[in-house]
Amino acid sequence: MTTVAQPLAQPHGEEHEDPREQLMFDPLPRGEMNRLAMESMYATSWKFWLVTGILVIVILYCLVYQWYILIMEGQGMAGVTRPDYWGVFLVNTVFWIGISHAGTFISAILRVMKVESRRPFTRAAELMTTFGLIQAGFSIFMHLGRVWLIYWMMPIPNVRRLWPDFHSPLMWDLLAITTYVLCSTMYLFLPLIPDLAMARDRTEGGWRKIFYRTLALGFRGTEGEWKNLTTAMNIFAFAIIPVMFSVHTIVSWDFAMATRPGWNSTVFGPYFVIGALHSGMAAVAIVLFIIRYTMKHMEYFIRKEHFNTIAMLMWIVSMAWAYFYFNDYLAPWYGGDKWDKLFQEYQEVGPKAYLWYTMLICNIAVPWLTLWNSKWRQTPWLLAIIGILINVGMYLERYIIIPVGVTINRMPFTWRQYEPRIEIPMTISTFALFLLLYMIASRLIPLIPVWEVQEGQENHTLRKVGKAHIPAISELE
Amino acid sequence: MATETESKLPGFTNQSEEELGGRWGMVIDQDLCTGCQACVAACSMENNVPIVGEDDAGYGRGMHWIRIERLWESMEFPEVKMTDFQPLLCQQCHNAPCEPVCPVFASVHSASEDLNLQVYNRCIGTRYCANNCPYQVRAFNWFDYNDERVYPELTTLHNQMNPDVTVRRRGVMEKCTFCIQRIHKAEDKAKSEGREIEDGEFTTACAQACPATAITFGRLDDPESAVIQIVAANPSRAGHLLEELRTQPRITYLAGGV
Amino acid sequence: MAEATTLLAVFDEIEPTTHAIEKLHELGVPDHDINVISGVPIPGRVLGRPSALTNVSRIAMVGAVLGMFFGIFLIYGTPYLYPLQVGGQPIYPVPMGWIVTFEMTMLGLMGFAFIGLFVDSGFPAYTPMEYRPEISDGKIAVLFSCPSQDQDKFVNALTSVGAESVTPSEARQL
Repeated sequence: MTTVAQPLAQPHGEEHEDPREQLMFDPLPRGEMNRLAMESMYATSWKFWLVTGILVIVILYCLVYQWYILIMEGQGMAGVTRPDYWGVFLVNTVFWIGISHAGTFISAILRVMKVESRRPFTRAAELMTTFGLIQAGFSIFMHLGRVWLIYWMMPIPNVRRLWPDFHSPLMWDLLAITTYVLCSTMYLFLPLIPDLAMARDRTEGGWRKIFYRTLALGFRGTEGEWKNLTTAMNIFAFAIIPVMFSVHTIVSWDFAMATRPGWNSTVFGPYFVIGALHSGMAAVAIVLFIIRYTMKHMEYFIRKEHFNTIAMLMWIVSMAWAYFYFNDYLAPWYGGDKWDKLFQEYQEVGPKAYLWYTMLICNIAVPWLTLWNSKWRQTPWLLAIIGILINVGMYLERYIIIPVGVTINRMPFTWRQYEPRIEIPMTISTFALFLLLYMIASRLIPLIPVWEVQEGQENHTLRKVGKAHIPAISELE
Repeated sequence: MATETESKLPGFTNQSEEELGGRWGMVIDQDLCTGCQACVAACSMENNVPIVGEDDAGYGRGMHWIRIERLWESMEFPEVKMTDFQPLLCQQCHNAPCEPVCPVFASVHSASEDLNLQVYNRCIGTRYCANNCPYQVRAFNWFDYNDERVYPELTTLHNQMNPDVTVRRRGVMEKCTFCIQRIHKAEDKAKSEGREIEDGEFTTACAQACPATAITFGRLDDPESAVIQIVAANPSRAGHLLEELRTQPRITYLAGGV
Repeated sequence: MAEATTLLAVFDEIEPTTHAIEKLHELGVPDHDINVISGVPIPGRVLGRPSALTNVSRIAMVGAVLGMFFGIFLIYGTPYLYPLQVGGQPIYPVPMGWIVTFEMTMLGLMGFAFIGLFVDSGFPAYTPMEYRPEISDGKIAVLFSCPSQDQDKFVNALTSVGAESVTPSEARQL
């Protein structure tokens, strides 16, 4: 009989990597990091121009030309009909607004919760917000019957003395999305000012010098300027979080306020917000992978621990999404309104049932089966593939809610399936425009907020506790 | 004569009470309806409803303001049992779900006539109203069907267009208006003669065309009107469509086969 | 009145900067004549400086209140100006009031915080100013004014605590 205590579990692998591999513990002189960021911005290869050229051609044909036809001929060029009055354009709108939430989540929520590993990629995520909202705006304009009159939705005094109708969820949408896009762009610009000042200082002349000097606003870094800037950034960080939640909630109310079966669900508010975070986090993983592997010097700034952070967020959000989806699923399944139940059966065994199964596999099975493994979480290319699959699943989720959802209503005589027509090239063009805007931005502004990285590196020290070097983070704010 | 059912004080919920007030309404006797579609044709001709062509009609874009719904109760041939024909047109709901969702007030409620109005020149084509209509009676102008420069083959009946009714362009939502042009003409005539409108003085195109007199149009606030009398004579058959949605439609259906 | 010169001392690290500011205090330079320019925000208490003041939060609060009034106007003022009945809903709806007012309040708060930054910092400022480009490369500059005749004393004092350079500063185009 032994009295020596046996360990309950065998120690497995080296769980604790050397903290000095992390960005925050691997500082370089600021001038060196500035040089890396600037070179990454300037270094442009022929591959960049090839991709840009292809994207421009795609946008000219699929966006400019097809939209011209759509406006001149009418909404009949799209696949919408009775009862499928809303189609892929609305799906795109919701999808792109969802993608845009990732930026705010990372730069605002992670900043407020003092998650230090967010430091290098807040700007990359915020750019996704601004450019995603541009695509969402285009998509909502695309679906309007008389888009040239959209200014009637704005509360501008006019000779007819008419005002827009604030009973309508679409008006709440207008206010919320306008607020969100303006505030996100301002929030993108604020931490960019010191980096523009750095770019201004490191540029000799030419159009770039004029560009950086103008946009840097004469920022020097005096105590007063830093105090004003950090105060404004803090206000934004705290205030944009409830705006982020409200924006996608209000988008969900476009559907929840309707009397259609399957849409009139009270759980839509939080369900859509979590869905937005789900697709947004996945998109951030894709973007970080692309940045790290196509841009020079990015391996210094974007490391495995950042992918690990994103992957854990993707995992947690996928669990939250499954929770909300189950909530939305259980009530009609249990009984009650026959039309809600009919819609549910249509999703499961109808002609579009393959979409429903794909959605569940991509949104739940894929993250749950892969993101538990810490080694896989830190494999960038794997994370990018998981991100793509999750985004496919989330696109299908909106596709099921909108075009498949409008197929079923309380008048069975009108049921008809929706087939997208001109929406297909126009959807592709929104992705192309998003990529193009991102690529142009990567040439114009430094993608890494170097001053925030340096600030973080100054906060982090390694404390010797016993024989180990333990990370210690000081709060200098 | 308009009943004041809405309070202008701030409130938390819908404020109109459950009552059959208001001016214009209809009763449709499904026992008499033969499904001949004369009402559909008459309505289209009266209201300049465009012809959409074979392809678009096949895709469900037919723009009829009234449609006859044929449904089957059982699908096991030869035991197929048909239900009554259901003429479906805009129910002119008192609590119309299509009204609050329009962002530009193109779909509003007329207090004096208690009708749901569609303002063509204000519509920007968001189609939220059509999504929200539980009866799916709204039609959208997917193309410039009525423009002879664009679709010369569809606009063959231009010369018979009703000058009292607007011709709508692409991007605009439309629906049954209870032939509001006829209502206004009768109201103007009665006003100029200093009297109230008599019951049966005019009627809508669909009611006028129906050979089986299945559709009766008239005033709901006049207890002597034909509409009220017919409903009162058939209390067990009378009902509204989708009553549980509390839209308070102005059309009463008399179920057949009783 | 003695002539005053503005000197700019450049440092590499925070520690020597702190010593330098102590030295300046010893030599009688008041806090309001000292300014620290750096590439990352350094809190005042680290350097022994009073915390900088900002008006941004006050301006943001004013913006929030203005936004709130604008939101109230949109949801209750516009139906008062042109009431239209829709769907049996009240002309002055309460739940929509919360939504619209919230969004406009947040827009006002953040928009005015942004404007407040511009106003309080004097952005955009394109005139020549005292600056060194090395600051954005991580150096910390201490800008202070001292009597001209003591200039050498100050230069020696700061060089002795580790300044890389102490030179008379001149405004230059950024």
